[in-house]
Amino acid sequence: MTDTILSVNDLCVSFDTESTALNVLDHGSFDLMKGKTLGLVGESGCGKSVTSMSIMRLLPQPAGKITGGVITYDNKVDILKLEGSLLRNIRGNRIAMIFQEPMTALNPVQTIGKQLLEIYKLHQQELSKQQSINACLELLKRVGIPDPLVLLNEYPHQLSGGMRQRIVIAMALACKPDILIADEPTTALDVTIQAQILELMKSLQDEMGMGILFITHDLGVIAEMCDDIVVMYAGRVVEKTSVINLFNNPKHPYSKGLLNSIPTINTVKRERLQTIAGQVPSLAEMPNGCRFQNRCPHVEASCAKQTYQLSKISEQHLVNCHKWELIEHA
Amino acid sequence: MPREDILRVVGLTKYFPVKKQSFFGGKLTLKAVDNVSITLKQGETLGIVGESGCGKSTLAKTIARLITTTNGKIYYKNNDITHASFKQLQPIRPSIQYVFQDPYESLNPRHTIQNILEEPFLIHTKLKFIERKEKVEDLLHKVGLPTDCLSKYPHEFSGGQRQRIGIARAIALEPDVLICDEPVSALDVSVQSQIINLLMDLQDELGLGIIFIAHDLAVVKHISDRIAVMYLGRIVETSTTEELFKQPQHPYTQLLMNAIPNPDPTKRRTKKTIKGELPSPINPPLGCNFQSRCKFETKQCETSDPNLSNRMSTSTHQSACHHTDLSTKEWESPWEF
Repeated sequence: MTDTILSVNDLCVSFDTESTALNVLDHGSFDLMKGKTLGLVGESGCGKSVTSMSIMRLLPQPAGKITGGVITYDNKVDILKLEGSLLRNIRGNRIAMIFQEPMTALNPVQTIGKQLLEIYKLHQQELSKQQSINACLELLKRVGIPDPLVLLNEYPHQLSGGMRQRIVIAMALACKPDILIADEPTTALDVTIQAQILELMKSLQDEMGMGILFITHDLGVIAEMCDDIVVMYAGRVVEKTSVINLFNNPKHPYSKGLLNSIPTINTVKRERLQTIAGQVPSLAEMPNGCRFQNRCPHVEASCAKQTYQLSKISEQHLVNCHKWELIEHA
Repeated sequence: MPREDILRVVGLTKYFPVKKQSFFGGKLTLKAVDNVSITLKQGETLGIVGESGCGKSTLAKTIARLITTTNGKIYYKNNDITHASFKQLQPIRPSIQYVFQDPYESLNPRHTIQNILEEPFLIHTKLKFIERKEKVEDLLHKVGLPTDCLSKYPHEFSGGQRQRIGIARAIALEPDVLICDEPVSALDVSVQSQIINLLMDLQDELGLGIIFIAHDLAVVKHISDRIAVMYLGRIVETSTTEELFKQPQHPYTQLLMNAIPNPDPTKRRTKKTIKGELPSPINPPLGCNFQSRCKFETKQCETSDPNLSNRMSTSTHQSACHHTDLSTKEWESPWEF
C-alpha cells in the first residue's frame, strides 16, 4: 500500500497517577490514506483525543507516556523519535490539527492577523511580510470569510463560533498539510453551522488532497464525512472497516449497540430506544480480557481470558471479538 | 376526551437591557424572547428546537419563573402566575419542575445524594425522617439507580447517572409540568438513549407534561407530540411532529432539517447548505427576522413582519413566513419515511 500517509502501529499510552499508571490507549493501530477521511468514533474517555495528541506529540508532560508503538509519517519518518527542529518541520507544517473548542484554540489577546502571520513566520520564512499577508487574505477568503482585510485586525471574541472555527481551519491549512487531524471540530457548533463547516472541509480536501483523521462521537457526522472508520472503546480499537460496512454490517456488539441506540429521523415516534446497559468501566478497574464484557449481551466466561487481538472478517474488516461468528449465526 | 391545558403562555416577552454603546446613544435591548405563545396539555410533550442564542433557555426559565417576564402572561391551570409573589408561588413550585442541561453544575458538589433528593420534601412537605427516606429510595428506584448510592457525592457519578439524579429531584414532588432544558446534549450517545427512555417511561407513569428543549431534531422528533421551532426569540413554526416533518413550511425549519447529518453513508447530502449565521438579537432586522438567510426573501419581507398563523389549510400547523406557498412547493424531503 503505497499511498498510506500516516500509519499508527500498536500505540500504547499510559498516564501516571499518584498510585498507578493508567493504560489509556492499548495497542491502537490504523492507517490513514492520502486524500481519504478516517473517522475515529467512541465515547468520551475512550482514547480518541489521546491518540490525536500522541500523533501531534502534544501529550501532557510528564504524566502522559507513550509506552510502545510506532507512528510513521509518509512511510519513512517515525514521529515518536523526532526531536527539536525535525519535529517542528512536521508538526504544524505537514500534520496540522483543528481543535474542538475554537475559543480556547485561539489566543484571546492577539488579533487574528497576528496569529495567522505567526504561522508563516515559523514555517515559511522565505515569504516577505507583504507576501504573507496576501497569503493570509487568500486563505481567509478560501475558508469563506466575507471580509478578510477587516478581520485581520479583529480579536477572537468579536467573532461567532462558526467564524472562529473557520479561522482555526485556515490556520491548520496555512502550510497545505498532508494530514489534518480534526478533533471534534463541529461539536461546539450549531447544526446549520456544522453543515457549513463540514462542507468546507470536504471541498478543501478535494482541493488539497490531504488525509483527514476525523475524531467525533456523532455517527451522523461520520456517515457524512468518512471513508473508513475505527471504533474505539475503553482505550482499544474494537472495529475497523469502511463506513458502508460499519453502518450496514457492524460486527462488534458495541458498534451494534451504538448504531441501534441513536434516534434517527426514521425511528418510530416514542418507541423505546435500544440501549447499551451499564457503563464504561473506569480505567483503574479495567477487567481482564475483553473490555466490553460487562455490557455485552453475548458475554460468556471465555471473554475474560481473551488477549487483545483483531480478528479478520475480510481484508477491510477487522473486529476485536472472538465470538463474532457465533453472534452472527445466532 | 380532549385533555386539559395545564400550562398556557400568551405573548410572552423577555427583554434584557444591554449596556449603551455611547453616552448619548439610545437604550439598547436584547430581545431574547419576543411574543411567544405556547400551550401544554397534560401528558403531552412539546419540543422546542432552535440554534443556540435563539431564546430557548430564556423561554424555559421564564416559564418556570426563574427569571421575571417583561410582558405577556403565564397561566398554570388557568391561574395567572406571571407576577405571583414568592409566597404565592410556593404551592405552585412543586408542580412545575426543571431538569437542567449540565448534570455537572446543577448538583451541589457538597451535598450527598440523600441531601439533594431530600431537600424538596423538607421544603414542601412535613414528612418525617423515615417517610422521607422511603420517598428518596423510591425515587432512586424510579430513575434506575441503586439505593446504596445515597451517601455518595455527585462527583462519584458519571454524567448519565448525574442526569438521573437531576431527573429524580425534579419528579420528587410529582409535578405536572417538567421543563427539560437540553437534558441529553451533554451526554454520550449510548447514555442519551437511556435518559430518553427514562423520560418517556416516567411520562407514561406519572402523566407529566414535558417541555423538551433541544437542538437535535432527531431527538426532539422521537420524543415530542408537537414541536415549536424558534428563531431569534420567536416561534417561526409550530405543528404536530408528523406534520412538521412531512411538510415543513418555514424556510428556517427546512434549513434545519437539511442540516441534520443523516447516519446513513449511502445518502450523503448533496444539496448546498444555506450561508449565513444567526444575526444579533440586539438589533434584529426590520421586517422578517430570517430575511438575511432566506432564499425566498422579497421586498415584502423587509418591511412587514410575518406573524405566526395558519398559512395552509391544516389547523394545527402554523408558520411565520410570507412565502409559505413558495417554500412548501419547493420542499424536497432529505429522508424517505
